[in-house]
Amino acid sequence: MKTMRTLMSLAFLAAAALPALAEGPAIGAAAPVFDLKTIDGKDFSLASAEKSNSYVVLMFIATECPYSNAYNDRMRDMAASYAKKGVQFVGVNSNSTETVEEAVAHAKKHGHTFSIVKDSGNKVADLYDARRTPEVFVVGKDGKLVYHGRIDENYEDAAKVTSPDLKNALDSLLAGQPVAKAETKAFGCTIKRA
Amino acid sequence: MSSDFGIRISGLRAAFATLFLFPLAAPSGAADATLLKGEVDGRQLAAAIAREKGHVVLVNFWATWCVPCREEFPDLVRLEKSYRGRGLRILGVSTDLAKDLPKVEKFLAAGHPDFPNYRKKSGGDDQDFIESVDPKWGGELPFTLLYGRDGKKARVLSGKQSYADFERAVAALMADPGA
Repeated sequence: MKTMRTLMSLAFLAAAALPALAEGPAIGAAAPVFDLKTIDGKDFSLASAEKSNSYVVLMFIATECPYSNAYNDRMRDMAASYAKKGVQFVGVNSNSTETVEEAVAHAKKHGHTFSIVKDSGNKVADLYDARRTPEVFVVGKDGKLVYHGRIDENYEDAAKVTSPDLKNALDSLLAGQPVAKAETKAFGCTIKRA
Repeated sequence: MSSDFGIRISGLRAAFATLFLFPLAAPSGAADATLLKGEVDGRQLAAAIAREKGHVVLVNFWATWCVPCREEFPDLVRLEKSYRGRGLRILGVSTDLAKDLPKVEKFLAAGHPDFPNYRKKSGGDDQDFIESVDPKWGGELPFTLLYGRDGKKARVLSGKQSYADFERAVAALMADPGA
């Protein structure tokens, strides 16, 4: 299984070299695995994170995107809340315009204690066909993608959210229920590819 | 001067625009008397695009908070000036929230676009608008669609483009007798 996923990941990476965006994994398909350094110098392996958690939430984030920044507190709070339920939140910074140092400063400023990896060369963004920030992908223990899309529908005001899509998905998954809306969309900043 | 539309067009071009280019439903609510032509939902935008059949149409989605959108906008203004006579029509669509209308106005006033700009209608779920525009659009901005003279969607340009990128895409469509 791991060999197959590794081959799939390599195939996605090869496709990512093409000018067009690669096709990302569909809901229910294997999520491409990757190994990267966190912005504080630690090793991060998605395959290992899957094994040690019920679910892993990959969040493509930015330091300068107003849409991503609108979710800073929500990301911080959800990461802390769901860590207790066996869900690991991981930030992925794929923007070629943002340095590790800027990501470190941004995380410190906003109290982001969840792991954040620097995706130099936007290889992981290409593997997932991630287009914008913020954009989230939820991966299960079996390595399959179970949710893709937005955190919620109201970037402007967390108090007026009517469709907390990521929360709904995680709550359903943790309760052993199917996810009602496994694919959602919202406006966001384009990931600045190298 | 075509004060009804509030965009910078004049003389014969304004008359032409009045008759053929911008016959959208009356602007609603906060968009009145602004540099914006009006507010649109997905259906109204599709109708505006369809009315331009016979031209190559470029639709650009932007927002004032989006730095690459702001950066590529002058290239669209320049592109329209160069290619209008050859049959290009550009429609801009701001996705800004209603509270940011002053920023939209300021941006348009500074940018002097000769093409109409709309704002995505307030309310509703953005996902519905995104899906109605293009099911493969993830919501990233800027985002550009190109339609051939036959009215069919021909190209999708995700993210910031250079003037050369826009020009290449437009020129290819203009040279395609089937599009």
